[in-house]
Amino acid sequence: MLHYDFMQRAFCAGGLIALVASVLGVYLMLRRQALMADMLSHVSLAGVAAGVYFGMNPTVSGFVMAVLGSIAVEYVRRVYRSYSEISVAIIMIGGLSSAVILMSLNKSVNVNFTSYLFGSVVAVNWTELTLMFAVALIGACYFWLFRRPLYHLTFDEDTATTGGFPVRRITLSFSVLTGMIVAAAMPIVGVLLVSSLIVLPAALAIRIARSFASALWLAMAFGLAGVFSGLTASYELSTPPGGTIALVLLAFLVAGIGIRKAVLWIAKSRPKAEDLADEAAVGPIPRIHEDSSAV
Amino acid sequence: MLIASLKNIRFGYTDVPCLVDANIEIRSGEFVAVTGPNGAAKTTLLRLALGLLQPWEGSVELASRNPDGGKLTVGYVPQQVASFNGGFPSTVWEFVRSGRHVRGSWFRKLKASDHEQTEQALRNVGLWGLRHRKIGELSGGQKQRLCIARALAQEPDLLVLDEPATGMDQESRLAFYELLHHQVKGLGRTVVMVTHEMSESEKYLDRVIMLERKEDGGWRCCTTTSCSGHFAPVG
Repeated sequence: MLHYDFMQRAFCAGGLIALVASVLGVYLMLRRQALMADMLSHVSLAGVAAGVYFGMNPTVSGFVMAVLGSIAVEYVRRVYRSYSEISVAIIMIGGLSSAVILMSLNKSVNVNFTSYLFGSVVAVNWTELTLMFAVALIGACYFWLFRRPLYHLTFDEDTATTGGFPVRRITLSFSVLTGMIVAAAMPIVGVLLVSSLIVLPAALAIRIARSFASALWLAMAFGLAGVFSGLTASYELSTPPGGTIALVLLAFLVAGIGIRKAVLWIAKSRPKAEDLADEAAVGPIPRIHEDSSAV
Repeated sequence: MLIASLKNIRFGYTDVPCLVDANIEIRSGEFVAVTGPNGAAKTTLLRLALGLLQPWEGSVELASRNPDGGKLTVGYVPQQVASFNGGFPSTVWEFVRSGRHVRGSWFRKLKASDHEQTEQALRNVGLWGLRHRKIGELSGGQKQRLCIARALAQEPDLLVLDEPATGMDQESRLAFYELLHHQVKGLGRTVVMVTHEMSESEKYLDRVIMLERKEDGGWRCCTTTSCSGHFAPVG
């Protein structure tokens, strides 16, 4: 399978998307913006349609529109602070309706949109692969450099603000990065499947992981495993790669949650001695005079 | 030294103001309580002081430097019931240690001293035994203590707590007020605390800011220099 050039590119592109989209997914889910990828892919589709209609490069116009959409959603989110999913819904409606109208204006280009809707990971070209690599590199640097501020503002933006982090600038840059990742991944996995790579590995990792760092590593591992096994299954069974990858990831999620429930059930019936000791050691707040070294 | 100052503040969430002519000054090394009935805009007052809300009118000044000339560090413990992100995948240790991120550069490697401060903060609130637990597995009262521990781990110059003793048993509350008193008198920090119940904490307080209703609607601040004194309107 891997002696085919197109499969090598598919594995490279799929692996890059899996790594960066999984980490992005953990942050998006915890910020209750899991549908942001869906929203941006629809906005990006409007950009592609606009690009085709106005005779521009559709990949570039889709990319630019996704970034603009990510900035717009950040501003709308500030209006609906307690209901951040509303901002996603509002921009998604705008993106989807614009895409439908722009596509209907020129029926002769409908064929091109099929690849944007469903993706073509086995037909990825070197330009798309290079773009994906560049975005993945930027994403990796961003997530590494801003891992501490992102941890704080993902938990609670108010305490992150009082802690001295530039929350507005970081949330805006995070939204722009989300737009870039979605736009770069869309021609490869498609509008309808881009969110599966963002949401499903993160959903499983968050359920299983005990620490934040392990959630990020687990999400990347699940994403990679899902993409590679999905591509292999797609090659062997001659099924569409995007749909196969999404179904494999969904199977991982269902199996992972089932295994976790079984492990918890066994652990409850046989509690560990150290857990019981920890529980017993927890009491009221100790009086200050008993410990003068209080910070 | 003046840490925070609110002058002639007017603020509301709708077109009706909930705070009118509010004036507050918080000085370094004070233990101040903010009190008043439900809906008296106590939390709003704190959020305005911290810059989380912008007033319609008036000015808010929060010092950028502490009395030693270093960057002012603020530890904030919001009301937890509504805001605690219980599904957040983090251990108690990892969460409290994150309080150390606000000290120095974001990129610095945490040292042994950071781990010692984290351990001490956890011991101070009695959660050391649960340091390996996921934060979502804690009870409501333990989550409250967890957030206090994270704020303590920051070694904050200004510690702002919104109803911090909610969900604590009496023994813990008494020890907690002693701990806050130690933060002020022993370590020279400034503590501002929203509370409904002052019978247990008043012996430690330097000042009480009470919010009372104005005749024409809204709430204003009254303050007293000692807990046994009479409230005198300042706003």
